[in-house]
Amino acid sequence: MASSSAAEGVSMDDDYETLIATTDVELLKRAWRNEKAAPEILRYESKLVSRVNKVIQLMEEIVEEKSSGGTDPLSVSLYQMDLDRTLFLLRSYLRIRIQKIEKYVFHIQKTEELRNRLSKYEKDFAKMCENDLEQHLDESVLSKLPKDYKSVLRQSSMSEEDDMVPEPQLDAFVLCRSKEYLTGIQLEDGPVDDRSKLFEMEPGVLHFICYKSIKALVESGKIDLL
Amino acid sequence: MAKYYDIDDIIVEEETVSVIFQKAASGVGIDPSSSIFIETGSKVELPFWLAHELQLRQAVSVNVPPCFNQKTRQELHADSAGVDLRSRCPFFYEFGCKIAPIVGDRTIGFLLLSAFKSRYKEILTKAHSVAFAAGSKFWTILTKEEIYLYETAQSAMASFKKWRMGGPRFQIASVLGRKRKSKE
Amino acid sequence: MYGSKASQLVKEFASGEKGQLTTYNNDLIREVVAECTQHHLDFQSLIRKMQEEGLDIQTAKNADHYGALIHHLAVVRNKRCLMAYMYNRAEIIRNLLWKIGHMLPQEIKVKLCSTEEEHFKNHSKALKNYMLKVEVDLTVVTSPSSSPISFPSPSPASTHAPDMVPPKDPYIKVRVIDDIGEGILLSDDKSANFALHSMHLLKRTDAEQFIAQGKMEELKG
Repeated sequence: MASSSAAEGVSMDDDYETLIATTDVELLKRAWRNEKAAPEILRYESKLVSRVNKVIQLMEEIVEEKSSGGTDPLSVSLYQMDLDRTLFLLRSYLRIRIQKIEKYVFHIQKTEELRNRLSKYEKDFAKMCENDLEQHLDESVLSKLPKDYKSVLRQSSMSEEDDMVPEPQLDAFVLCRSKEYLTGIQLEDGPVDDRSKLFEMEPGVLHFICYKSIKALVESGKIDLL
Repeated sequence: MAKYYDIDDIIVEEETVSVIFQKAASGVGIDPSSSIFIETGSKVELPFWLAHELQLRQAVSVNVPPCFNQKTRQELHADSAGVDLRSRCPFFYEFGCKIAPIVGDRTIGFLLLSAFKSRYKEILTKAHSVAFAAGSKFWTILTKEEIYLYETAQSAMASFKKWRMGGPRFQIASVLGRKRKSKE
Repeated sequence: MYGSKASQLVKEFASGEKGQLTTYNNDLIREVVAECTQHHLDFQSLIRKMQEEGLDIQTAKNADHYGALIHHLAVVRNKRCLMAYMYNRAEIIRNLLWKIGHMLPQEIKVKLCSTEEEHFKNHSKALKNYMLKVEVDLTVVTSPSSSPISFPSPSPASTHAPDMVPPKDPYIKVRVIDDIGEGILLSDDKSANFALHSMHLLKRTDAEQFIAQGKMEELKG
């Protein structure tokens, strides 16, 4: 069954056209791609998510209306398809974030900056997650070890810092693309002599680059990850 | 330590190295056969994790492990892709990176780089062209890092083909294991 | 050799296929924990000896100091192995929630220890709690008729089965490859006869969970 090509042939109502043209879904797609590719958790797009939720509601009403109004089942299923795809984006976005929290819960919980990137509900989840994992590790291993070795953050009481906490690898390589001409990017990898050289990016050109070097530009929305 | 829970990292650090004690140590029985008191100057085989920490405190000096010796270097030089690195050290590169600063041998870095470069080419070509049975000789000489690369290259190729040709996208959860063989 | 039992534990974990669990090795864990206790006793007795000789344990670097150091390092190493074993298993166990839902299959249950099972339940609770608040279900639902989460508001957004694979077609062709049982209600309130080996054209959202559980397979084209 061809989905996209058939959609163009079906005449659409004006309100549906405008709905499609709202770029919130496109913006969510971008946020989703960034979140998917970034090694660390990014800032929660709270306003965008609440707008997308409204879009989804609208789309659901349309589907509801069409399916009860005796519209041809094929076109209803195409509206449904579009709704499903938006829902998928939203779920996937939230899911990736939750899975990152699961993976780096100790690191996120002890880093103020990262904790502030979470939504209120994600914060609650992170807290519960941390407690559960701590309790599990404590009951199965830590409580049975000698007294100086019971910490879940430090290898022993002789450690001077939290040396057990796994962190995301910020020097991982990512694929990215800039929307505008950017200059003065400091490369954080490669031979030491090259690092002082500044790097520039043309708009629309794909680069394979160390995430650390462009981290700030991803956060400010100048660069998109792929 | 970002890699505290990393299984491979833990296994790499289990590699044994031979060290010479610069200080005496008492009250230990690292091996059931060794004596309780280790004299200064004794040569002992230790796992890397212990040797490394003791070296940091100047209690031992670490010898270059045999997998980076002259013989391996010559073989790699002659036919890098054909050398069985796995039997010498399953994590040849990771271990090399860890050991190089400790033994203070600057040539290890170059050795790793040149070995990797030439073998990498071979692995990618093979991964994209021929499917090797799990038991074939090619497999047995690769290090763990090289096997990961090989598998990544193969799965990338498989995903690409699937994307181009179409095919089932929904699959059974991998944790349940394969209950029955799929009929190809 | 010091730490060899602990590394055996880690190697046992690594020997399992990626994403698969081996049976929890209670005996080996107990042995490694016992080793830690013994190392710590040896450590303490060496320190005590130094103190009795009137040495400053912070600065004195005699043979006893290095002996104590080795025992300390052995505990740290054993702890790392024990923790990595538990931590990585816990990760696989939590991932079960994403792959097969909130019910533990018997074949996996037998491989877990009691605190691992507890961890699974607690984490499932945390996840359900989150999904309840955002009103979106993110995991695989075990059965459409007995959804493990009941949302307070009957928002249509939350009543769809969630999708792990980006939707392409609303309907997919499937074949039944395992006994599913009767009386399965689909989302449009119709029921179908899912006899073994029968083929159906189903809503993607209805079929997804059965495929994840290995009860149906998707047919090409």
